[in-house]
Amino acid sequence: METSKTHAAAWLGALVLCATSLAAADETCNSPYIGNLIKGQEDYLYVWALGEKGLGDGSDKLVTIDAKPGSAKYGKVIHKVSVGSRGEAHHMGLTDDRRFLWAGGLDDSKIYVFDIAKDPGRPRLVKTIADLPAKTGYVGPHTFYALPGRMLVQALSNSKDHGGVTGMAVYNTKGELVTTYAMPTDNGGDGYGYDVAVNPQKNVLLTSSFAGWNNYMMDFGKLVKDPEAMKRFGSTMVVWDLKAMKPTKILSVPGAPLEIRWSLKQGDNWAVTATALTSKIWLIKQDASGDWQGQAVADIGDPAKIPLPVDISISADGKGLWVNTFMDGKTRYFDLSNPAKPVQAYEKVTGKQVNMISQSWDGKRVYISSSLLANWDKKGADNEQFVRAFNWDGKELTPAFEVDFLKEKLGRAHHMKLGSKALKMAFNDADQR
Amino acid sequence: MRKVLVLAGLLLARPDARAQELGFVPPAPGTYKLQHILRAPEGTVLDCEGEAQRFSRFTTGRITVLSLIYTRCGDGRGCPLASYMLKSLKGRIDKRRRWSDLLRFVSLSFDPDHDTPAVMRAYGSGYAPDKIGLPWHFLTTRSHRQLRLLLDGFGQDVWMPADPSATATGPLPHVLKVFLIDRLGSIREIYTTSFLQPQMVLNDIETLLLEDGAPLD
Repeated sequence: METSKTHAAAWLGALVLCATSLAAADETCNSPYIGNLIKGQEDYLYVWALGEKGLGDGSDKLVTIDAKPGSAKYGKVIHKVSVGSRGEAHHMGLTDDRRFLWAGGLDDSKIYVFDIAKDPGRPRLVKTIADLPAKTGYVGPHTFYALPGRMLVQALSNSKDHGGVTGMAVYNTKGELVTTYAMPTDNGGDGYGYDVAVNPQKNVLLTSSFAGWNNYMMDFGKLVKDPEAMKRFGSTMVVWDLKAMKPTKILSVPGAPLEIRWSLKQGDNWAVTATALTSKIWLIKQDASGDWQGQAVADIGDPAKIPLPVDISISADGKGLWVNTFMDGKTRYFDLSNPAKPVQAYEKVTGKQVNMISQSWDGKRVYISSSLLANWDKKGADNEQFVRAFNWDGKELTPAFEVDFLKEKLGRAHHMKLGSKALKMAFNDADQR
Repeated sequence: MRKVLVLAGLLLARPDARAQELGFVPPAPGTYKLQHILRAPEGTVLDCEGEAQRFSRFTTGRITVLSLIYTRCGDGRGCPLASYMLKSLKGRIDKRRRWSDLLRFVSLSFDPDHDTPAVMRAYGSGYAPDKIGLPWHFLTTRSHRQLRLLLDGFGQDVWMPADPSATATGPLPHVLKVFLIDRLGSIREIYTTSFLQPQMVLNDIETLLLEDGAPLD
């Protein structure tokens, strides 16, 4: 009996250690299952760029930028991998061991796997998965979210009608399809998908909802004048039992809830999202009875002007939230000290159009990209395409470097991930013994 | 004795006890499906007596909980955590006699330079000294080449230094992974640090036993 007690106490201690490590599990926006954190200065910024016809080779490509201050090539493109076709490059996700970077095309539904461990400064394309629609019926792989030994892929659309009803696919580390999960269409579910985010301590997976291929590939000017098409946007979030991968509750969140960010602060039990069309921050939190509830807690700019919030980035301590709004080109910072009442503390116009925003673990560096979708980006002189790096001192964003993706003939800059020289794997040199 | 029974009941039966340990109410065993993630790889390993064995001998025929470790690991959130969890689980499972006959544990080293069969035998004696109940095998490999096939098969990273001399003494960073393998050698769940909860592992084992139609008591 004493042995059992001792084991129980020791195990409790181990769990505390576990939980502590989880709180610091990533550079703020990735899966909590990802190891090898970059808590210091990143060396590289990986950018998944959409190809542009007539610009360079016109293909989608993974661009590597030197992001280490003091480096001879700081702020310069040091490597690029073209995938040889143009398929609406959009989002990326790291595997749990950070050896591989998965990236997807929303139009051609291809999934590319890049090795970033053998030489982090020179990623290599090692696998292309081209049969997602054929094997799953889903189209538009969007979010790539590491689960232990697997990759959870959230699609945006389907191959039957190219509408918004879709699902998730799980792949193993070899890139083989394991299974699929349909987004719920009953009990108030609209069947749409966009982002996924896990809280292992609560056994909860949250998903959000956007639009299908018919909408995201349509010219933006035409789309907003099409009242029927404008009805075809997601208006729900789904709370899933992560272990069982079964939906447990549908939350009504009108206006296309996009990126989901859990607070990483130990003990917190809430996440936030931003709705693109209604321009609001929503808080998803457990109530006193443990039931998950969603509530709009703040406006982003003037919702009547549809600033179109397109990405958010939460600070590691859960006390701050960056929000990029595409239409007005603004980067906003919200004080999240009280997540039920976010307060805007700062804003700056960072481009004529801005989309993704990523921050370093310490929050001192912020990276911004320009492209939303090829057919939604602005036209003419407003169609800036860039990655801009800023330093953040808590009061002001100060420009650090900029890469002009048009001048460099790279295309449209979209999703960004951080890389480190220290994560170079030397396994091949050792395994021949 | 009564207290032992109460503890066993709490850990193995009552849903509210499960929820208390986990911090959430887990789905009941058998109400969810564990996917076939990957085939456990084939290869050659050395048992703790130094005998070469086909690896599939340790991944088929019984439900297997397997952890990839190295005995020098000093990370409290790494290999010691995995081995301690298995020890804790073994204590619980051995209270169910029929479970012990249907399960096995395996600890496979990815540090063949240091973790010889003798080292694995000594390491194992600290976790399963009496060889009673559920069998727990402590395995290693003869070479890095043999090891690499297994690590690739499991999708297990090990960030070995390029300098061989550093391998012998330095740390071997890796993502902690524990694998649940069914009787036919299919990997059905993978646990990492943030998901390595003994009650969930027990639930998953019970789910596989129910799938097999095995008696639970």
